[in-house]
Amino acid sequence: MKESKLWVVISLFITCCIAAFALSQVYAITKPKIDYQRQVAGLHTALAAVMPEANRFEPVNDDSTVWRAYADDQHIGTVIRAAKQGYGGLVPVAAGIDLEGKIVAIRVASSAEGLKETPGLGLKATEEKFREQFKGKTLSELRLKKDGGTIEAITGATITSRAVTDAIRETMEKYQDIIIIKGNE
Amino acid sequence: MSNKKPSRLAYLTSGIVKENPTLILMIGLCPTLATTVSARDGLGMGLAASFVLIGSNVVVSAVRKLVPDSVRIPIFIIIISTFVTIVDYLMQAYQPGLYRVLGVFVPLIVVNCIILGRAEAFAYKHGIFDSLLDGLGKSIGFTLVLFIMGTIREIVGNGTFFGQAVTPAWYRSAPMLFAIFPPGAFFLIGLLKALVNKTKLGGNK
Amino acid sequence: MSQMNPAKIFLAAFLVNNIILMRFIGLCPFFGVSTSLNTSAGMSAAVLFVMLLAAWVSWILYHTLLVPLGLIFLRTAVFILVIAALVQFVEMFLKRYIRNLYSAMGIYLPLITTNCAILGVTFLNIDYRFNILQATIFALGTACGFALAIILFAAIRERLEDAPISPAFKGYPIAFIGAALVSLAFMGFIALFGIS
Repeated sequence: MKESKLWVVISLFITCCIAAFALSQVYAITKPKIDYQRQVAGLHTALAAVMPEANRFEPVNDDSTVWRAYADDQHIGTVIRAAKQGYGGLVPVAAGIDLEGKIVAIRVASSAEGLKETPGLGLKATEEKFREQFKGKTLSELRLKKDGGTIEAITGATITSRAVTDAIRETMEKYQDIIIIKGNE
Repeated sequence: MSNKKPSRLAYLTSGIVKENPTLILMIGLCPTLATTVSARDGLGMGLAASFVLIGSNVVVSAVRKLVPDSVRIPIFIIIISTFVTIVDYLMQAYQPGLYRVLGVFVPLIVVNCIILGRAEAFAYKHGIFDSLLDGLGKSIGFTLVLFIMGTIREIVGNGTFFGQAVTPAWYRSAPMLFAIFPPGAFFLIGLLKALVNKTKLGGNK
Repeated sequence: MSQMNPAKIFLAAFLVNNIILMRFIGLCPFFGVSTSLNTSAGMSAAVLFVMLLAAWVSWILYHTLLVPLGLIFLRTAVFILVIAALVQFVEMFLKRYIRNLYSAMGIYLPLITTNCAILGVTFLNIDYRFNILQATIFALGTACGFALAIILFAAIRERLEDAPISPAFKGYPIAFIGAALVSLAFMGFIALFGIS
């Protein structure tokens, strides 16, 4: 009876059904947590991109715009995330800042991540050439040259360049007390 | 009845030394070498595989009288892959760091020779409690080897244990990286197996 | 990895990330079959055949059935069942049409089902987001890498048979240490042509 052809087919079928059902339940239960973990991981990558020496980040405020960066247990700086209206939409930026208030690196979201600036112009803000100007700059230097600061705007993309620069400057200003810990500005 | 008791315990203990899956039976080698770069990773892998082994042993044993002989292998495979998928998603949700490290080896648990092997060789022919003991014994044996290898490789190759430094700083600045790279894994398991042969832990071969 | 050109994908699978010596996937047949050159060659051929078929069938099933129907969680079960079915089919085919190869393979054929390498390739094809062409090249490269590793190793092991080795090390231990040395050699391929 156990070996009858009918039972062979039925037992296989039942096993598949039970398995599929059990798995669909597990999938449904764990999905929210998994999506959350993916988000956290994506965020971590973005933060680590501008603060390469750090391996741990702690949020400082509720809307995830300011993070303390740690290398193991040592507090080595801060990462801020901001966005300002550019030419085609919001331009999301992130900046890693050391304890003296000097910028370590900045990163502008790519067009795959939703950046809507003009290709060949505003989109150049994502390139190394524009971004590396920010290295080592302090708050007082954070304006476009034409606004009195030291950042060279991208030719033909002033609006985008200004959006990036101002986004960083304004957030730095707002959270100065948390960001700058050592020495003078 | 008093005859059964000692042999029952044997199901459990044989899996740890005498019939240790990795070092005596020589099965389940892939994860043993690939996931033991650190003690934590080895332990994590062992626990995940143990979950699947014990779970599948119990379920296979529970349904053994209903499963037709001709399709038992496919049904075992379905049962095992269900447990593997469960542990896969649980790990993704609650231990994403470990999941990232173990990578493709989590779903590969499904072809871990130990699990299908025990289902076929034992669980299909024994009662639920005995299958549970067998699964538990083999799991402890397997996880133990993973943990030992992970520990040795981490201490020698990185100077740490579970991420905590256990060697002086001068060693950690230039540890024997050979241990964490693939050749080191092969080398270490060769040494371990030679040790097992020498001490004839698996009985006279 | 899906950004790499076909040649790089092949080289990466064949040498740089050799499935056995660097990734540790496919070890059971590696140590079990490599005692003689003949069985190694036979096993490699079977693996190549099954790996390509499995890569195609699993990729197609995943992208045309599992994803659209939201059944990604059935991936593990479906892939291993596909492989089991394929091996069964290959076995029947060989038994009927190429009898001598079938008897030469013996027990090794059903063993391919639990060959982590084949299942591993099907998963990696998804994780690396390959298209069907890249998946094919990756499977090809991996199968060739498997063949290379196992044939190289079989040659070494055949020599080891006659070598004077202390009893504790005879058999598996010296085989492992031999594998360590071959793996060390393969580490020389890291960063070949800029592939990591």
